[in-house]
Amino acid sequence: MAEVKELLSVWADLMAANKERLIELDGAVGDSDLGLTMSDGFRAAYEAIKDSTEPDIGKLIYTAGKAMGAAVPSTMGTLMASGLMNAGKEFKGVEWMEDRSWPGFFQAYFDGVQKRGKAELGEKTFLDGLSPAVEVLRNNMDDMCVAAPKAAQAANDAFHATKGMLAKHGRMAIRGEQSREYLDPGAAVAALLMEGFSQIILR
Amino acid sequence: MKKIINTAERFVPEMLEGIYAAHPDELRYVNDDLHCLVNARTHAGKVGLSTGGGSGHLPLFLGYVGEGMLDGCAIGDVFQSPSAEQMLAVTKHIDQGEGVLYIYGNYNGDIFNFDSAAEMADFEENIRVLSCVAGEDVAGAAPAPGEPNKRRGVAGIFFVFKCAGAAASAGLNLDDVKRVADKVCANVRTMGVALSSCTVPRLGRPSFEIAADEMEIGMGIHGEPGVRRGKLQSADEIVDEMLSPILNDLPYGQGDEVAVLINGLGATPLEELYVMFRRVNQTLGAKGIKVYHTYVGEIATSMEMAGASISLLKVDDELKQYLAAPANTPFFQQFAY
Repeated sequence: MAEVKELLSVWADLMAANKERLIELDGAVGDSDLGLTMSDGFRAAYEAIKDSTEPDIGKLIYTAGKAMGAAVPSTMGTLMASGLMNAGKEFKGVEWMEDRSWPGFFQAYFDGVQKRGKAELGEKTFLDGLSPAVEVLRNNMDDMCVAAPKAAQAANDAFHATKGMLAKHGRMAIRGEQSREYLDPGAAVAALLMEGFSQIILR
Repeated sequence: MKKIINTAERFVPEMLEGIYAAHPDELRYVNDDLHCLVNARTHAGKVGLSTGGGSGHLPLFLGYVGEGMLDGCAIGDVFQSPSAEQMLAVTKHIDQGEGVLYIYGNYNGDIFNFDSAAEMADFEENIRVLSCVAGEDVAGAAPAPGEPNKRRGVAGIFFVFKCAGAAASAGLNLDDVKRVADKVCANVRTMGVALSSCTVPRLGRPSFEIAADEMEIGMGIHGEPGVRRGKLQSADEIVDEMLSPILNDLPYGQGDEVAVLINGLGATPLEELYVMFRRVNQTLGAKGIKVYHTYVGEIATSMEMAGASISLLKVDDELKQYLAAPANTPFFQQFAY
C-alpha cells in the first residue's frame, strides 16, 4: 500500500506543478478548468488515503477515486475518478503490488475511464495517451524499472500524436475538422500519470 | 454584472439555505450536505425518483421534488453537475426497497456522475437503479439509427418528471415507471430562442455576446450555440420558426393530441409567453392537432437569460392520465384535471 500512497502523492504534486500548462491546453479547446480539476482532484484523492491504515490496496484506491469524484464532479474529474474506482474494484483483496501487477492496474484504470466516457481509441481523448503506455508495461512486465520510463515516453509521444486527430467528444468536437490543429488536454493528463508512475518506480 | 447576491462563491449555498428556510415542512437535506435535497415526506413501498443537475435553472431541477413528482435531487454549482457521491446520498435516502429511477438531462457531466452513482448504489448498497436520460432539443440533429442521442435535455424534462412521478405515486414498479418515463422522452420535443445572455456569478461576465437587436434560434440553456442567429422578428415569425422543426420531428396526424409547454428562460415576461402560445394554438388548430393541456410559465430557466422555449408532448390515454394527476411541490402545484 505504500507504493499506492506514494503514487497518488506524486500525481497530486505533478498535477499541481502542471496546473497552468493544463489550463492553457484546455483553454484553447474547452472551458479551461482542467488544470484546476486535476490538481484539486488528485490532491483530494491523496488526502483521502494518506493516513489510512487500510491494508487492502483495492479498497484504498477505490476510496481515493471516490474522494476525487466528490471533489471535482466535472467531466474529466469524474472520468479520472472512474478509472481509480475501477482499478480499486480490480485489486480488491490485494495487499502487495508486484512488478507484474502494474500493467493490470493501468489496464483497469483505462477500462474504468472507457466504460464511463464511452470513447474509442483514435477519438482524441485521454485513452489515446494511456493506451500505448499500458501496452509497453504489458510487454515489459518483469522489470518495471525498464518498463516505467519507456511507458512514460510512450504516453508523452502519444500525447503529441493527438495533434492531427479528429475530436469526437466534448467541446473540442464542436470545432469539427479544426480540432485537428490542437493537442488533447486529456492525453496530457495521461502522460503526467505515466511520468509520475515512472518517478516512483525509479526512486 | 448586476445581481442581488452577497458573494459569487456563496450564491448556491445561500440560495439553498433560503429554500430550506422557506419550505421547512416540505424539503430537507441529507448527509449534512445542502446539495442533497429530498422530500421531507416519505412513502413506503413507492419507487424512488431522483434527478440532479447544475444550479441556475430554477424551478428545474429541485423545484419538482414533492408530492406526485420527485423524491430527491442532487444539486451542483451553477451549470455544473453535482457529484456522484451526492447523488448516492440522495439515492440511499429515497430508496424504499423498490429501487430508484434517475431522470436527468443529456449532458456528459451529469451522465458520468449518475452512471457512477448507480454503480456505487449497486456495489455498495445493493439498490437497484435505472436511468432515463432526457434529450429532446430539436436544435440538435436526430440520432442516426444505432447512434447515441446527442440532443440536449431542456424544458421538456418537466413532462418526464410529471408523468413518471404520477406513475410512481400510482404504485407502478420500477420497470414500469421507467417505461412511462421513456415513453415521454420518445414523444416530447423542444425548441428554444434566446434574446440575451445570462451571467454565471463566478465568471462575472455574460456567457456570450448578442447584439440588442438580435436573437438566436435553438440556443441551449447554458448558452450553447443554436441553429440560426439573426435580427429579432415578430412573435408569430419566431414561433413559426421554432414550431416547424418540432412538428417535423414526429409523425403528427389529424386528431392527435398534445400537451404544450411555453417556458420562459428567466427575463421574458409572462405576457410575451402568452403572445407566443396564441400563435402555437392557432397553428396546431389549423393542423387539426388538439391541445390537451397547456402550461405557461418558468419551468426551466437560464438565470437572467431572455428568451423562451416551446415543448410539445404527444399524448395517449396513459400519458394523459399521468399528466392530469395532482401534484404539489414548493414550486409547482396542480389539482387533478
